[in-house]
Amino acid sequence: MYAQAFFVAVFGLAAIGFGVVVFRTSSMVRSALALLFSQTAVGCMFLAMQTEFLGVLQIMMMATEMSIMAIFMVMFMMDPGGLGGMDMSHQKRFSIGAGVSAAVVAIAVALLSDWGPAAEQVADAEAQTRELGMELLGRSMMIFETAGITILTAMIAATAVAIPVKNLASKDDKEASE
Amino acid sequence: MTVVLIVALLTGAILFGIGIYGALSQTNLVMIMMGVELMLAGAMVNLVAFWRFLHPEAYSGQMFVLVVMTVMALEMAVGFGVAIARFRAKGSVEMEEAEDLKG
Repeated sequence: MYAQAFFVAVFGLAAIGFGVVVFRTSSMVRSALALLFSQTAVGCMFLAMQTEFLGVLQIMMMATEMSIMAIFMVMFMMDPGGLGGMDMSHQKRFSIGAGVSAAVVAIAVALLSDWGPAAEQVADAEAQTRELGMELLGRSMMIFETAGITILTAMIAATAVAIPVKNLASKDDKEASE
Repeated sequence: MTVVLIVALLTGAILFGIGIYGALSQTNLVMIMMGVELMLAGAMVNLVAFWRFLHPEAYSGQMFVLVVMTVMALEMAVGFGVAIARFRAKGSVEMEEAEDLKG
């Protein structure tokens, strides 16, 4: 239990540290990499809490997602290298106040609530994966299917929004004039 | 009550706070999405801790984490779709220049 507490705390500190770096650095690539490391540390926390399947899934998903995010950031940002020293933030005091307030409230709830006795033992990785599969294809099948259809819808919608709109009217006019 | 549960909940709370700061303070759409990702990561840490230490027999807890991961992927896909459309139309994804979207 002490080793588990140690590793959860270490990976938790890493996740928080890299999370802070995301908004402290001027370089967008560093920012994306810091978010990748933060999310990977969260995945390692899952592993330390004996949630192997979700931990591995989190690390794999975030590695891909953040790589794509880094490419988009370099494409879209006005100063991706951060060499111009541009300040790309606003309403800082309000944002800090909102962030600190939310964190303090959540910490207070975590510390003041009576969570009851904690489970000492948990099923091994193989049994967990099997039980999660039974849950996904049993009681939670509707949620699982809905998530799948929502992802498909979002993929189609995102592609439809992103492709350039052709001016069909002007094309028709051009053809008519010819 | 176990120390590990409290450590995980504190980590989740602080990650959520950092995410709120990022989502509110940044002017770039991609950076705002990064803030949202951190908020969702904080929520996932809490969910896994609740499942592991309070209800390890109920796998709907892990199912909930999978749903949050789905939301993260959807947010990325739709967010980048909107970013590409906005960049193509206006040449920028700075949200301070997006007042024309209001109303």
